Amino acid sequence: MSHPQRRERIVSEAEAASWVSDGMTIAIGEPGPMAVIRQLVRRGVKDLTVVGSGVALDLLIAAGCVRKTIAYYVGGGAGGAVAPSFRRAAEAGEIEVWECEEGIVAAGLRAAAQGLPFLPWRGGLGTSLPDVNPDLKLMTDPIRGETLIAVPAIEVDVAFLHAAHADAYGNVQHIGGPGWLDLFLYRAADRCAVQVEKIVANEDVRANPAATTIAGVDGVIRAPWGAHPFYSRGWYVQDRAFTRLYVDAATAAAQHGDRGPLEAFLTTYCIEPETHADYLERVGVRQLLTLHEY
Amino acid sequence: MSNNAADNTADDSMTILDHPVTRQEVMAAFLANDIADGEILQVGAAMPVGEVAVRLAHFHHGPNMELIFIGSRMNVAHLHTLPTPEFGWDRRTVRWAESYWDTGHRFDRVKDWGNRVFFIGGVQVDPHGNTNLIGVGDDHRHLRFRGPGSVGTSTLSTLVGRYYIVLNSHSARTFVPRCDYVSAFGWGDGHPEARRRLGLPGGGPKYCVTPLCVMDFTDDTKHLRLKSVHPGVSVDEVVANTGFELVIPSGEIPTTPVPDPEQLHILRTRADERGALRR
Repeated sequence: MSHPQRRERIVSEAEAASWVSDGMTIAIGEPGPMAVIRQLVRRGVKDLTVVGSGVALDLLIAAGCVRKTIAYYVGGGAGGAVAPSFRRAAEAGEIEVWECEEGIVAAGLRAAAQGLPFLPWRGGLGTSLPDVNPDLKLMTDPIRGETLIAVPAIEVDVAFLHAAHADAYGNVQHIGGPGWLDLFLYRAADRCAVQVEKIVANEDVRANPAATTIAGVDGVIRAPWGAHPFYSRGWYVQDRAFTRLYVDAATAAAQHGDRGPLEAFLTTYCIEPETHADYLERVGVRQLLTLHEY
Repeated sequence: MSNNAADNTADDSMTILDHPVTRQEVMAAFLANDIADGEILQVGAAMPVGEVAVRLAHFHHGPNMELIFIGSRMNVAHLHTLPTPEFGWDRRTVRWAESYWDTGHRFDRVKDWGNRVFFIGGVQVDPHGNTNLIGVGDDHRHLRFRGPGSVGTSTLSTLVGRYYIVLNSHSARTFVPRCDYVSAFGWGDGHPEARRRLGLPGGGPKYCVTPLCVMDFTDDTKHLRLKSVHPGVSVDEVVANTGFELVIPSGEIPTTPVPDPEQLHILRTRADERGALRR
């Protein structure tokens, strides 16, 4: 009689990206889960609503994947105050910006995670946020009569994160984190796949269950250097030169209408490399090995 | 006093302490002097003056301060130095954390944020300290300039005991009579009760610090008022670069103090080892 086996949850970056179809709402964590993001660009997914931030979100906008952003901060990373593709697309009205703020996004994600239609939040009272985002409604609290902001649930179809370790069964262990809103994204999402630097033995997870930050995600993606050109805590720092390459190309497209360098970047680093390994070969082992933390 | 490295006639005998004091260093020292031991100091992304100010205060007179960078909370009074991060959540800084307060419970205990101090930037600032990180233009769907977004400033400005508006430049484009959008509520229309009426528990903006000067707020109309000008800056220069009528107190306007030798030593060798404020 055969012994039933526990199912492993390891998926490739391409398989995880195939969970996404046009028009879905996805969430991308910090640091950016870039192996998956490049696959989304490669597939030419369209009309996404993206809960995210920074240059990783900007890349998806540059590649034409995004219809709407739910982002509290889209800074320029390597220099600029505002990420170039986000700035241009927002100014041109090509993307819808769901104007928000970190505490407000956290409230909306928490509402989704808890199956509630909304949660109230105080931060943002008196600001323009409810004026420019009509989904944020001023409400009178029925208990104490205060005016608060009702933040609707931010429902996420798929969340993609990057972390240090996981076992094959989806038990994730971060080093130095998780930071930012990653756990909120996980909890708000119907499905979640996490890229990791290393898939470790189940025994290694059992050795320290208190270190498990997310238990039982739907997909574990083996992606060493998978957050490149961003950082991965405990593994490597941000690749400033490479980030600059993207920001300069995207700035040329956004500010001067010269899409050549940006198209070349997207082709070279997102579309032509079939797998994450192909991408890493293009970046080069010498470059990767300069990115040590200490 | 210079922002320009070319003014610095370097020779072989010069040490890091001989470099002229920059305006950003004056800003950081002013802020550090206003922070008391025991306070909790939170600094967000892209705020080098705030990064250095909290380190300077911590090493100089604040062994019981707690520093929060993005979401890592630490006390590093025992350290010689704490590097300024190259990017958000740079582990070379974050490794000193005693806790990650946003590991899933960010915003879950805001009742003690009255003891917290924060720093806010802005694309626009109005006379009552309301700030805008959303953008510039009449039509929100087609802004003339799209800003980076509100980050966490709407919530932090609502809740923290006090905050400082800290800007990298001082111009009439930034200091406008009315913000096109408000992402952090300062003093609203300037009524001293404006925050209480909205039910905002936090204490609001205390000072606005720029490369030219320090401003505070009048008591009765919560209107920006010139407090001091940095060395080498004239009142006329401040007025000419402010897009609304600043309240100018009668009499001599004081000069913002430069860091004393002890502060400068800590600033240059420990708080800002990488020289972020000397560039």
